[in-house]
Amino acid sequence: MKKLSAPPQRPDPAASLAFQALTAAERLAKSGLRGLLIWQIARTALRLGFAATAAMLAGRLVMGGAVDPGLTAATIVLLAASCLAGLAADRVQASAENTVSTGLRGSAGDRLNEMPARLLQSLPVGSVIVSMQRHPEQVAALVVGHRAATAMMAAGPLLAAGALGFVSWQAALLIAGLTPVMILFFALVGKAMRRRADAQERAFGRLADQFADRIRTLPTTLANHATAGEAAKLARRLDTYAGKTIGLLRIAFVNAGIIDFFASLSIAILAVFLGLGHLKLATIPGFSNLELWQSLFILMIAPEFFAPFRRFSEQYHAKAEGLAAAAALDRLLGAEPVAAKTLPSLERLRLTLPAKGLVAIVGPSGSGKSTLLRRLAGLEHGGMQGAQPLAGTGIAWVSTDSYVPEGTLGEAIAWNAVAVTRDRLEDSARAIGLLDDALLPGGLDARLDKGGANLSGGQRLRIAVARATLAGRAVLADEPTAKLDRETAEAVRRTLLAISRSRLVVLATHDRDLAAAADITVDLTQGDAVEVAA
Amino acid sequence: MNISFQSSQSSSRTSWRLATGFAFAALFCAILLGGVSAWLLGSVAIAGLSAAALTFNFHMPAAFIRLFAIGRTAARYGERLTGHRAALADQVAHRVELFAAMAAAPAVRRAGWQLGDDARLADYLDDVEDLDYARLRAGLPALTLACGLAALIAGSAVLAPLSLLPIVLVLLAILFVGNRVAKAGAMAWDRARSLRRGGASRLGAAMASAVPLKAECAWNRECVAALAALSSADGELLALRRLQARLDMIGAAFGPVAGISVMAAAWHPGRQGPELLLPMLLAFSWLALGEAVNGASRMLVAVLRRNAARAEIDQWTRDASDGRRVSTLQSIEPRLLLHGGLQRRAPDGRAIGTLVALLFERGRPTMLAGASGSGKTSLLKQIAGWIGEDGFAADDRILSASERRALAALVLHDAVILEDTVRANLSAAGVPDAALWRALEAVEMDGRVREAGGLDAWIRQDRFSLGEVQRINLARAWLSSRPLVLLDEPTEHLDDEQGQRILERLLAHLDDRIVVVSTHRTPLRDARIIELQA
Repeated sequence: MKKLSAPPQRPDPAASLAFQALTAAERLAKSGLRGLLIWQIARTALRLGFAATAAMLAGRLVMGGAVDPGLTAATIVLLAASCLAGLAADRVQASAENTVSTGLRGSAGDRLNEMPARLLQSLPVGSVIVSMQRHPEQVAALVVGHRAATAMMAAGPLLAAGALGFVSWQAALLIAGLTPVMILFFALVGKAMRRRADAQERAFGRLADQFADRIRTLPTTLANHATAGEAAKLARRLDTYAGKTIGLLRIAFVNAGIIDFFASLSIAILAVFLGLGHLKLATIPGFSNLELWQSLFILMIAPEFFAPFRRFSEQYHAKAEGLAAAAALDRLLGAEPVAAKTLPSLERLRLTLPAKGLVAIVGPSGSGKSTLLRRLAGLEHGGMQGAQPLAGTGIAWVSTDSYVPEGTLGEAIAWNAVAVTRDRLEDSARAIGLLDDALLPGGLDARLDKGGANLSGGQRLRIAVARATLAGRAVLADEPTAKLDRETAEAVRRTLLAISRSRLVVLATHDRDLAAAADITVDLTQGDAVEVAA
Repeated sequence: MNISFQSSQSSSRTSWRLATGFAFAALFCAILLGGVSAWLLGSVAIAGLSAAALTFNFHMPAAFIRLFAIGRTAARYGERLTGHRAALADQVAHRVELFAAMAAAPAVRRAGWQLGDDARLADYLDDVEDLDYARLRAGLPALTLACGLAALIAGSAVLAPLSLLPIVLVLLAILFVGNRVAKAGAMAWDRARSLRRGGASRLGAAMASAVPLKAECAWNRECVAALAALSSADGELLALRRLQARLDMIGAAFGPVAGISVMAAAWHPGRQGPELLLPMLLAFSWLALGEAVNGASRMLVAVLRRNAARAEIDQWTRDASDGRRVSTLQSIEPRLLLHGGLQRRAPDGRAIGTLVALLFERGRPTMLAGASGSGKTSLLKQIAGWIGEDGFAADDRILSASERRALAALVLHDAVILEDTVRANLSAAGVPDAALWRALEAVEMDGRVREAGGLDAWIRQDRFSLGEVQRINLARAWLSSRPLVLLDEPTEHLDDEQGQRILERLLAHLDDRIVVVSTHRTPLRDARIIELQA
């Protein structure tokens, strides 16, 4: 064991990078899956029991036998029990899938939390949202529903064949003998289907998402007056694609057709064999000299033998979707960190930050201003000497991509700050000109769209500045005056200067006026010479 | 297009008719396969006891059983295939119609384009699919099931009237629970949708502010809250599935209960032996029908999802009929376009700012200058007739919003690439290749397009940088023949020099039109400038 005083070991990068959604989901699914299988087996067994007693009852009635009240009661109890077991199985499956999806989403969230900010920023937002929203559910359906259906494909027919064996092992053998033939057909159809699907993907794959694409690009189409042409083209392409899809389905449905065929065929064969046996016209071992209830029982069980195959084939989509979802999650959450540009000037920088005052980081674009700011915030590691990350003391970050929660303007300003009075909120908002913004009517009660969608970068930045005045923490500001009109920029400058009288304000800026007002200027202009002017 | 529409519509009607026929045939065969098989076994078992065995016509029913077995398999295959063919034909017609309705809907022009966002688009597509397939998933099976039920109930009323009591009781229970599932399920589904959307937008907002949130140590809190909303949505779906499980339990009991009831009701008055053969046929028919009731909860869910989807999509296409009145005013080429005092409007229609006087002149571009957030894009949309219902004076007449929509080429800064050929992306039908290449040269994209494979190369948004997308967008402006060209931040994503170069070329090319350019950069020389204040 390492001593505690040893420098913190960075975990093995390969191990920490890989996100294995499927493995994680399987772990989460374990107990639920076991419960589900138990209930499904119970349901199948009870159904078989019901079939046996019901067949006995019907057989005896028709053959003029006496009705045994015990048997009647047993039939009803078994039926009720099998329905209840079915209910339990459905509920357990739903809960187990929910556990997996919630748990998987949680660990994906942990992974996002561990990610460095820049990596997080580089991920495609839309894919992250879709992944977090849908993929856990799809993976859950794979590791619970699909797995259970796979297992039941072995357990279900075995149970059914076992039950048949009680009455006639020859009938069990006949049914079981049909299975390999059926599987052979499956394999053939599967192969043909894959070949066809691949061919379709090659030829028409690009038409698959045309509708989605035309909806996504609708405003562009509108702006270019291309709507009529696009609608006609869309109709043509959707029509072509639908035609090809039908071609594919024609083969895909053969799979289900095979199961139907064997299930129907088994009934037909059995009914004929059993009938001949009863008539004593032919002596078929295992099918002759049976009681009526026995042959009715065989007739009822035969379809049960094939039912698990059908349920499994219905899960085909769950499997494809689940695998794709797991792969997408792995890809997204195992993304390689974006290689940071090496900035020699930053490696050599010696900087001692004062407790208060204005520090300006200046230099041309790409000289590392924002990187230095992120390092000061403790978001990135770099060989910076002297300067301790400020993260420990708490930071108020000001930039055009500052976070704006849903709610009113007042709530956005008060976000992540200690409780403040409305007066102070109002003061801070007024100081930065947020109260007389024509686009935000209603003052502090102005309604902001979800995620601040109706805000410009400048408005976000001003909300962050107002927030910073209330927060009492050190302020880090990334280009606080860029993209603002003259008056607003002036208000931002004024406010930041005022804050710097009691706290530390570090800003990365192109703004000469701001730089001139700074107590300390860090100039990154010269690739390797860093001037720190007091 | 209309012709192909009609033909696809009539072919869809034929397909539906066929599918319905197949569905009935499949259910009919399935019911009789079970019933007649059981009846045959009973008959031969009784006949086998006596000399009647020798005269028993065995081959007729056996042939029927084989017919039913083959018929069930074939009809199910036919039902699946024609059902999907019908649904796909409807889908094509419906999606083309939906595209046209969306294109005409004011909501699309007004707001920022929400369906450009992956998560929203995925939700929208789910809705469209729920609409497309509701008839196949719910309508058709419900119809056949209802007819099967009616037939068997009629049979029961004739053969064993007393059995109707339990049958009707269970049926009522199914209707009662089904009604509750429908109501509670619709609410759960609504809640799940809104939770999902809330979580998605919250996660999107957090992702967009990843750096500030990480710096302020607030990332995890926000991310966890967003993911928790997504997981509560899954929780709602769990509740829905639990409701479904309850309905399916009763559904699973229905067939057997009905079968037992028929046998019991037939036996009760003292019928015996051969007299019970027909009731047994009926009882086994009930068992076979019971299999079909198993999917009842899925039908209900398909219906409630369709209702929710319809409500959602109606939101988008509301008032679409207004937008279909496309003005045919393309021939006029105004020299002047002016408004003495325009009330500016936000995208949601709210009035903002003070009145502005606008005067645009052919041959002399006007720059709309102003900081980010000053409402430049909204004003351009207002000029283009996308927002508001203002009239502008043009030479000696008044142009309404819809007339200006027909006259204006609006070049949005967030325009996108359609997944299509380069040629289609330029949306300049009938323009010779040489002119297309000249446009691409003017925006310095000719090399890139040649590299991609020329004008007929298939392109996608993600293969291009933002700057390249912007330049293709400017090529569209170059090729536009509309008399009014509105450029929204045309140099965004381009470096200063290239942006200036391309813009000057473009403005020179458009010197016979009215051109309005919005920019937050330094305006061009000798342009008329309108300064906007936030």
